[in-house]
Order: sequence, then structure tokens, then C-alpha cells
Amino acid sequence: MIPRFLRGVEESLIALLLVAMTLLVTIEVILRYGFSSGLLWIQELTLLLAAYLVLLGAAYGVKKGAHIGMDMAVRRLAPRWRRMAGVLAVLLCLLYCGLFIAGSWDYLAKIKRFGIELEDLPVPQWLAHGVLLVGFGLLVIRFLELLWKIINKRAEGVLIADEAADAVDAVDAVDDVETEGESRKGGPE
Amino acid sequence: MTTLALFAMLFAFLILGLPVAIALGLSAILTILFFSNDSLASVVLKLFEALSEHYTLLAIPFFILSSAFLSSGGIARRLIRFAIAVIGHVRGGLAMASVLACMLFAAVSGSSPATVAAIGSIVIVGMVKAGYPEKFAAGVIANAGTLGILIPPSIVMLVYAAATEVSAARMFAAGLLPGLAMGLMLMIAIYVAARIKRLPRQKWAGLGEIADAAWRASGGLLLVVIVMGAIYGGIASPTEAAAISALYAFLVAVLFYRDIGPLKNVAWRQPDEALAAAALRNGVRMVLALAQSGTDSEVRQTVLAGAKTSIMLLFVIANAMLFAHVLTTERIPHGIAEAITSWGLSPWQFLIVVNIVLLIAGNFMEPSAILLIMAPILFPIATQLGIDPIHLGIIMVVNMEIGMITPPVGLNLFVTAGITGRSMTWVMAAALPWLAILLIFLAIVTYVPQLSLFLPELMDQMRGIK
Repeated sequence: MIPRFLRGVEESLIALLLVAMTLLVTIEVILRYGFSSGLLWIQELTLLLAAYLVLLGAAYGVKKGAHIGMDMAVRRLAPRWRRMAGVLAVLLCLLYCGLFIAGSWDYLAKIKRFGIELEDLPVPQWLAHGVLLVGFGLLVIRFLELLWKIINKRAEGVLIADEAADAVDAVDAVDDVETEGESRKGGPE
Repeated sequence: MTTLALFAMLFAFLILGLPVAIALGLSAILTILFFSNDSLASVVLKLFEALSEHYTLLAIPFFILSSAFLSSGGIARRLIRFAIAVIGHVRGGLAMASVLACMLFAAVSGSSPATVAAIGSIVIVGMVKAGYPEKFAAGVIANAGTLGILIPPSIVMLVYAAATEVSAARMFAAGLLPGLAMGLMLMIAIYVAARIKRLPRQKWAGLGEIADAAWRASGGLLLVVIVMGAIYGGIASPTEAAAISALYAFLVAVLFYRDIGPLKNVAWRQPDEALAAAALRNGVRMVLALAQSGTDSEVRQTVLAGAKTSIMLLFVIANAMLFAHVLTTERIPHGIAEAITSWGLSPWQFLIVVNIVLLIAGNFMEPSAILLIMAPILFPIATQLGIDPIHLGIIMVVNMEIGMITPPVGLNLFVTAGITGRSMTWVMAAALPWLAILLIFLAIVTYVPQLSLFLPELMDQMRGIK
């Protein structure tokens, strides 16, 4: 379980990343038209922040049940089998994370050996791309948590994630008011 | 063999209820592990590149953030009032106004479910109150909401542009006329249905109400002008226009409409307050509000809602790019392209095949993922047959629209079901009659390329003159 104060940090970080990206691109436009100049590193930094947003946010998405999928087939199963399918699905998700963590490790070790820096920012590439390990690590924690919940009958599967827990959790109850209609199933297109 | 394994795994994972993103990524990485000599490290690099090397795709989180502020900030409500003032007095006018509102909202947001959620949650109740059957109202909205991805800006078009390296601005220009045409077709169909079913009309509200509603909706309407102007005028790239529109939507929702955030319920002018005093008070409060927004819980929730949707979508896109990468390294698109070319299809026959394949695929997958997988396959064949890439893109977008209102993963159906509190089956039945219109529209878009190509070509000519 992740302590409550860390959860606040997670949400703030995600919100901050998105806001920072928006402001960076706006600043770039203002610099171009207002001062006919530009900063080379803005674009690289914005793109890097986008990768951070997704990699660090994917785990948050699991917790919020934001990841879309097709649950029509699984929902027709009897509860017992549905839970089995849920466990299998989470195990496969863990396999996904495991493979990516292994790959990330190799990849990061390799670029660290080469000692490459980012194109425009004076930061070693392995450090900047190290977020891969953090992101997939967070995903593992979330999936393990979800697995535990499915075994304890407190959740049913990856897509039908956390709603019961959310309802109990008074802090989270207000969260999804804004996106009620699309919170679980909804994606932008 | 590899192809078969790749797709078999993908479908098995999807049916098992894995999130689309992970199903795509896992089948891709397992295929590489078993059938290819590439290292896991190279796969990870590909994923990171998918996330951090597509400047066009950056527009997606910005447009989503902008939609989040527009929907929570009551801009949708003001657009609807404007639409009703304009067209509500015709028979079936409330439904037509809903379509118009969807079109306006589509022109500021790039997403269909967002359009359905923002407009539908208000107008469906309104239509039922005015005496429309709920089924009729829900069906109209589920369909009109699909305009979200056809009328620019459009997230799906951005994905197509990233997948094929066609200019996103030209795609946006191409979507405008078809979007208007489809809105018009829906309105005509509503008018006919309204005559037959004797649906009510609203009172003619008068030019005063139109002017007043337009003035109050101007915060939203101006955004249409800003986004379109910036992109078509070549002032800003779609990504930059998207970032500015997100910032603008925040400012309008928090500082001017004051439906959310620190200035909620703060009046522009209190009774008996002198104009100068009000101006000073507002000025100070607005500057303060910018700082207060950092800690305001409503602003924070809106940003988080936008972030959550963006993360989900970008995660799907990154994994779909990985999947597409495996396809290309296995030369699968090449093989399929050769097979199809060897059938000796003429362009119009090929387009029928395209439509059928996409309609089927649209039933199972997320639109952005389909585009990323199918575009590399279809694109080279289309070029060989002399079909314009922009035209192909619009055809694909319209197919994705239809996928959104067909089960089992029709996102618009889910959102409509969520708004109305009805079952999926009920919503499907409600949306079905209108689906016929979309299919006719698809045929028109497919075989009248001028509809899509007129504006981008005009844009090129005008640039040429300059």
C-alpha cells in the first residue's frame, strides 16, 4: 500500500508536469513572436516531460481505472472464473512490466557506458531516461496491489479496477465528479 | 507465422480484459523475444522514442486539457444556449441545436467522447423536458458527438499525421468541409424525422437573445477563431496552437466565466459599486487568482482529469507504435501490400476493402491504435493507386467515427450510457437509425475526394501566391 502523503505527491507531480509542458510551449511561441528568438532546449525538454508524464502517470492510471480495454467477454463469465481471468490478466501485466524493466536495465546500462548526453540539455542520457525504471517499477507496485485486491475479492480485474475501494476512500470520492461519464470507459476519441 | 502469433496474442490479451495499451505492448515485445534477434533494450528505446520524439503528438495532451477546462468551465452550456437561440425555433430545433452545439464544441476540442460528455450531459435532459423521446435525444447526441474527431482540431488526425508524416495542418484543413457536411446531413435528417414524428419547436427567441447568447458564448467562440486562425494562417503549429488553447481555456474558465476556481461566485460588479472601484477590485482579484489557482482544488481536479485521459491515450499510442514497429520490421505491411496489389484492384475497389477492414477493426480497438497499425499497411498501397494521403486520412477518420458508435468498444456509446443511466443495449438501439446516415456519409467522403481535398489545395494555392 502506498501511504496517503505519497499519493498527494503523485497527483501533484502529474498535474505539474502537464502544466509545465503547456507553459513551455507557450513560452516558445511568445519568444518567437515577441522577441524573435528561441531557446533550443525548450522542445527537447517538453518532449522529455511528456515521456515523464506518461511513464510516471501510467501507474496512477491503473489506480484510477483510466486504462481502456474490452471487458465484454470477461464480464459474461461466472464470478469465480471472472476472478481467475482477472488474476491471469494482472499476471500478464506484470510480465509486461518485467520484460520492460529488464529491457530498460540493459538499455540504461548501455547508454551509461557510452556516456551520451541529451541533444540540447547538458544531462547524461541514462539519467534522463532512467524514468523508465521508475515508471515500470511504479506499475509493478500498482499491479501487485491490484492482484492482492482481486485475491481478496475486493476488485475484479484490471479494467474494473478500484471503484469499490474508491467509494470507501472518502478522499478519492470527490475526484471523479468532473469526468463521471467518461472516467472509466472514456478516452478522448 | 510471426504475423499470426502477433495478432493471435493481441486478440487473446484483449479478450482477457487487458488494457488495450498493455495488450499491444505485450504482444509486440513477446513477438520480438521469440521471433526476432532484436534485443529487449532496443524495444525499450523504441517505446521511449514513441513517447518523446513526436512533437505533433504533444498537441494531444494540450487539446485534452483544453477540453477539460471547457467542459468544467460552463463553456459548453453557453455554446448550447447560443445554438438554441439560433436554430431552436425550427421544428425539431432543439435536436438540431444540439448538433450545432456538438459541431461548435468539436471545433474547440479534438475528441468525440469529450464532445458527447460536455454537450450530451446538458442537452439530453433538456430535450426530454421539451417533449422529445429520450431515445431520439440519446441517438442524436451519440452520433453528433462523433464530429469531435472530424471537425478540426482532432486527436485522431494528429495520430494519422504522426504515423504517415502528412502535415497535421493540412489534415485539419481537409476535415473542415466534411465535418460541416455531416453536421448538415444530421440536421436535415432530424428535420425530416421531426416532421414525421411531430416533434416540438421552441419559440423564436429574437435577435436580441441571439446577440446576447453570442456575446456570452464569445469566450468559447473566440477559441474556435484562435485555434483555426493560428493553424490555417500558418502562425503556429498545431502543437503550439493546442498549448495556447489550453492556456486560454484555463483563463476563460477561471478568470472570466468563473465557474470553477478561486473566483467562483465573485461578481464582476457588486450592486452600487462604482465602475472604477469594480475594475480595480477585479484587476487585483484576477492577478491574485492566477497565484491561487496553483492550490485551488477544482483547478487541480480539472488538470488531473485532463492528465489522466492524456496519459491513458499516449500510453496506448506509444504501445501501438511499438506494435506497428514490429509489423514493419517483420515486413508485414509490405507483404500485405504486395498481396493486395497483386489482386489488381482499382482505386475504388481498394477503398471498399479499406472501409470494410476499418469498420471491422473499429469494433475491437481504440481508434488511435487502429490508425497506427493500419496506416503503415494502407498508406503505401494508396500511394501506388494514386489516392491522396490526405483523402485516405479523412476516410480513416470517418471510419473511426463509425467505430465509436458500434459495439463493443464504441466509446460514445459508453459515454452516452453513462450520461443517461441507461443500458448499453438501449443506447445501441437509440444510435442505430442514425448510423445509416453515417454510412451514407462515409460513401460520399470515400467517392467524392474533392470534399476533403478542396480546402488543403486552396491553402496551398494561397501560399503559392504569397
